[in-house]
Amino acid sequence: MPREIITIQAGQCGNSIGSQFWQQLCLEHGISQDGNLEDFATEGGDRKDVFFYQSDDTRYIPRAILLDLEPRVIHGIQTGPYKNIYNPENFHVPKDGGGAGNIWALGFNAGENVYEEVMEMLDREADGSDSLEAFMLLHSIAGGTGSGLGSFLLEKLNDRFPKKLIQTYSVFPDMANGGEVVVQPYNSLLALRRLTQNADSVVVLDNGALTRIAADRLHVQEPSLTQTNQLVSTVMCASTTTLRYPGYMHNDLVGIIASLIPTPRCHFLMTSYTPFTSDSVNQGKTVRKTTVLDVMRRLLQPKNRMVTAMPTKQSCYISILNIIQGEADPTDVHKSLLRIRERKLATFIPWGPASIQVALTKKSPYIPMSNRVSGLMLANHTSVATLFERILKQYNILRKRGAFLEQYKKVPPFTDSLDEFDESKAVVQDLIAEYKAAEQKDYLSPEETGEGHA
Amino acid sequence: MPSTRNDRIDEGLSKLIEYILPELEDEDEDEDLKANALELAQGMIDSHVAPAYADDPAHIANIIKNKLIRDNRTSDKALRFHNLYSRLLTLPLIKRKGAILHLLHELSEEPERNTISRASERPSATAVDSRAPSRAGTESTRRPSKATTVNNEDDFDASVPPKPFLAPERGDGKAGEPTKAALLAGINAPLDPSEVTLLKDMPFTLQGVSSKNLPFSPENTLKLPSNLPVPLISLLHTLAEPALLYRSLSAFVEESDAIEDKGGLVGQSLSAAIGNELKAYLSLVAGLEGEIRRATSSLAEDDPHGLAVRKAGVTLRRCMIWTREATMGLRLMAAIVGESKGKRGGQLISIIHGFSTSHGDPFVFNFAKRLLTSVTRPFYDLLRRWVYDGELTDPYLEFFVIEQSEEAIMEASAERRGHASSVWQDKYKLDTEMIPTIMTPEFANKVFLIGKSLNFIRYGCEDSEWVEQYSKTTSKALSHDDYASLEQNIDEAYKTTMERLMHLMNKKFNLFEHLCALKKFLLLGQGDFVALLMESLSSNLDRPANTLYRHNLTAQLEHAIRGSNAQYESQEVLRRLDARMLELSHGEIGWDVFTLEYKIDPPVDVVVTPYGSREYLKVFNFLWRIKRVEFALGSAWKKYMTGARGVLASVADKVGNDWKVARCCIAEMIHFVAQLQYYILFQVIEPSWEKLTSTMNKPGVTLDDLIDAHKLYLNSITRKGLLGGGGATSKSKPETSFLAQLHEILKNMLAYKDAMDGLYSCSVAEFTRRQATSALIDARTAAGKWGVSESDSPYEFAQQVKKHSLRNSTRKVDISDSDSDSDSDDGDLPGIRQRLKTLTIEFQARTAVLLGDLATQPDMDMRFLGVMFSFNDFYVVKKGKGKTVVERRSAQKGDETPA
Repeated sequence: MPREIITIQAGQCGNSIGSQFWQQLCLEHGISQDGNLEDFATEGGDRKDVFFYQSDDTRYIPRAILLDLEPRVIHGIQTGPYKNIYNPENFHVPKDGGGAGNIWALGFNAGENVYEEVMEMLDREADGSDSLEAFMLLHSIAGGTGSGLGSFLLEKLNDRFPKKLIQTYSVFPDMANGGEVVVQPYNSLLALRRLTQNADSVVVLDNGALTRIAADRLHVQEPSLTQTNQLVSTVMCASTTTLRYPGYMHNDLVGIIASLIPTPRCHFLMTSYTPFTSDSVNQGKTVRKTTVLDVMRRLLQPKNRMVTAMPTKQSCYISILNIIQGEADPTDVHKSLLRIRERKLATFIPWGPASIQVALTKKSPYIPMSNRVSGLMLANHTSVATLFERILKQYNILRKRGAFLEQYKKVPPFTDSLDEFDESKAVVQDLIAEYKAAEQKDYLSPEETGEGHA
Repeated sequence: MPSTRNDRIDEGLSKLIEYILPELEDEDEDEDLKANALELAQGMIDSHVAPAYADDPAHIANIIKNKLIRDNRTSDKALRFHNLYSRLLTLPLIKRKGAILHLLHELSEEPERNTISRASERPSATAVDSRAPSRAGTESTRRPSKATTVNNEDDFDASVPPKPFLAPERGDGKAGEPTKAALLAGINAPLDPSEVTLLKDMPFTLQGVSSKNLPFSPENTLKLPSNLPVPLISLLHTLAEPALLYRSLSAFVEESDAIEDKGGLVGQSLSAAIGNELKAYLSLVAGLEGEIRRATSSLAEDDPHGLAVRKAGVTLRRCMIWTREATMGLRLMAAIVGESKGKRGGQLISIIHGFSTSHGDPFVFNFAKRLLTSVTRPFYDLLRRWVYDGELTDPYLEFFVIEQSEEAIMEASAERRGHASSVWQDKYKLDTEMIPTIMTPEFANKVFLIGKSLNFIRYGCEDSEWVEQYSKTTSKALSHDDYASLEQNIDEAYKTTMERLMHLMNKKFNLFEHLCALKKFLLLGQGDFVALLMESLSSNLDRPANTLYRHNLTAQLEHAIRGSNAQYESQEVLRRLDARMLELSHGEIGWDVFTLEYKIDPPVDVVVTPYGSREYLKVFNFLWRIKRVEFALGSAWKKYMTGARGVLASVADKVGNDWKVARCCIAEMIHFVAQLQYYILFQVIEPSWEKLTSTMNKPGVTLDDLIDAHKLYLNSITRKGLLGGGGATSKSKPETSFLAQLHEILKNMLAYKDAMDGLYSCSVAEFTRRQATSALIDARTAAGKWGVSESDSPYEFAQQVKKHSLRNSTRKVDISDSDSDSDSDDGDLPGIRQRLKTLTIEFQARTAVLLGDLATQPDMDMRFLGVMFSFNDFYVVKKGKGKTVVERRSAQKGDETPA
């Protein structure tokens, strides 16, 4: 059977994104709100079983686990239009439902309480799949639940399923505008450590960039949560099309990210998507007919990236994968690639071969698209480190003042010391250094190997 | 009214005849002669159709006036005519003034006309004049074929200059070469034999029968009496021609009747047609004989000069004139017969057709055309059977389509080296030699295709019902008379047949579905199926080939089908899919011998020929190999990646850098494989497929187009897919073809992966050791002892560590990947490092060579592959001194170019 992927949605943000994602998947696969196939969904060629399994009465049920420490969002899902597609056993909200109060430590600690129950769900889902390939965690790292509970889960998944890939879609806080949570630098830093050490691939989505793109592309000054979530779910759907519509290449997650991530630590991926239209996002702009070259060029533009990174002169791409959907002619792709190369629109690492890889995929036949071609870029770019630098900088400011630490000190692992902070900081610093090193020509040069041989 | 008018005409005619013809003694004969003459005269009158303008006197008057002005310098005559004309107009008595003028005008022009056909009533002078050009014409048609003619009618041919004709007699006659006086005397002297005698003999001679005076002494020579005057000899020469021709032709007809099977149907019909012509000739001779007999019977033997005969109007000269047309016909036939020696069917028709088109003489043209109509009849019957029934009933091999014998088919397929035989390709052959010139080559090709298709539909596609239906409804008699409608019929038949054939191919035999299936399965288009198959087979295929069992393979195949979207394919397709092993040679592992197969049944194998199937297998083999490497690298990557989260992270201090370098090398390989696959899919398979489908969907596509398109499709895949030929730079060394290079590179990757697995086990072993050590220390500490005591010898300690770790392997670190005997210690590490290093160097060297070869490829797409490999200019291609050097940028020294 297929390389199944189990989705874990943690926290408000994770669940909102997730519910949007499942809606979108249902539309693309022609699955109705009660989980049955629509009558028109007769065209084969898609694989629903990567993300869904079929119950005895042949309804399609998402391989999804929905976790939160407060009931609001999950309740919304449970009463929403798609409430019936989920497995009711896969919801978890503690009875007291107090939430994590935006404190990473609370979320992390709450994990211990829910551990048994969550693991039971995970095992059940894992048993229900033939060749489970990966877990996909949807969360934000600014708050308490997604960040804290998410971190906890990453650690536990690591132990429990050491051979399964772990991919996350992590929403980073808007660092430029301070954000809505004062302790987000703490939360982010602590979560970033787990993302670095316990995940195999992290798709970075920056709230600031999402808002900016929503404003630019949709001409909405203050985009609604739904709209930004739609941006994210569009990206998620696009990045999984090759899994859901199998073709010659990129049919499993390994196939997609293996070429993107050469070294284990540099596994933070940026995304761009173009064009956003009303097909995928409410009030999206109608875009004139797009060509492959347009799409591929726009994907490389920083303004379309869903991460606000501050690229330096040395910043470069480690790898790029473009997933082009629609009626793309391979010769157009070919021409576009040569054009991009000629004009040096993308800078690559100097220490190894790298290129823009392209996957051409089908579009869902059930959703009419007004634009001919749309594209998603998954890119491993060294400038993502600048995002981490900003988190680190803000953390340093807060930490220097020793602000807001009381909440953390109440619960383990901070009850004894704040070493956890320092360790996390070291990990993130290492990560940044690694990205910096990857910009250098001598990344692989033997000078560094000295200690390895000791 | 008309009857009375006709009566009047008849009366006038008979009076005229009585007046002209001399009175004969014999009442009956006289009557006969007159009746004949009357008939002739009536025929002439009836055959004369007055022109439409005959009623308009002014018009005719104009014509005459113009003629008079044209013919005479001065206009006197015209003026005079004008006067006469106006007087004529005033005469009330004459009604049909126009007709009269027309008659007069016609009469005035008569001498200029070619009137050979009615020469008997004209002064012979005119006839002689008109004879010359037409004779010359016939001569010229004969000339090109002289060589063949000479063989059977030497003497006849020699008649052109009359001398050789006399050759046999010359010896006798030489002594008394007649002087002019003697000749003059001879005119009045009684001749021996007399003209009358000769005249009497003439009918026999003309029929090719020897007579006393004119014997055919050798078979094809007419012996003339030696003592005749020259004019008479010349006359006899001329008369001898039809006689000799007749003899040879009737000999031909008899001959071809005797050897019936040899001439073929067309040959037979030719001889039949000639026979008919000869019969007509004979009846002419019979008529002539009648005339002669009538003329001579009344004569007394003693009339030395045959004056009475002359009076009767039957002379040798007249005979000559009467037989003239027939002679030309005979000549033409003789020419045809001469040329047709050894020719058959279509060629024969071509010869006759040549006369009917390329000849300026209307007589020859018409004659040949008449002949052609009857000669082509059997040919058109053949054509009809072929075009409407798809059957070739050609016992004498006359048609331009040849059915190949089994052996010939085998031979043909052997010639094309491995292009296996195919009913469609080889069963029938178009023989361009045999295409008659009555049709263009394109037309013949169309005909060929129609019949071939029908035959194929009937036997290949087992749809004889349709063919019968079709032949019943559309079958039309084809003949040469109406070429335009013939062409139209053929076009129609062509269209219908092709449509039907394509319909059958697409609907009944699901050709397109099969091609899709081939693309999906053998060209690995169905990714999830391939991945699943690869995964479930990989453990099997790692073992030696001779431990593989076919039922295992098919079971795995079944599993892969059911587990992937392939399950939605139709049974028709899945049934054909099979997994098997190639013939194995010693020491191979499963990967080398495994192959998928897609069975193609007739008639689809016309498009996907067995040769094509083999090509598909080749491509599959290559793609499968790449896929396997991708799979191996991918799963290795996954192992190392997930490992990095746990095990590897904790031993980073020891092997961290090894891993970094190795990972980047693996990344380079993954990049290589990904680019290669991208290229194969989007630069090779997809565009070719696009072309193929667009050809298939073109209206009016024929099966041959399809076969060609599919051949092209496969060719471009094998060629561009790096399977074909070799690098341009390495013609001398076949082992450096792209395919070989790629195989080496892929092998190299697998070896690297194995070495890296060694590194992995090594790291895991290190990790376990450390963990066990700390666990033991923990245990001892918990038991209140020193973690490490001095009494522990290193070996013992290690043993205890091992025991301990086996007892409580608390962390679920997977150590099963590593060798179960996981106490491989540092001793391995340098070896592994060394191996990784050598493999890396080898890989880099090989890619450099490959890139160098790609950079000098003439094919754009292949150069593009080179560009894609080095998209960020990591590999620097340097051209110069006739060889291309590829360098890695990281290896360059002092070239500081910020990216």
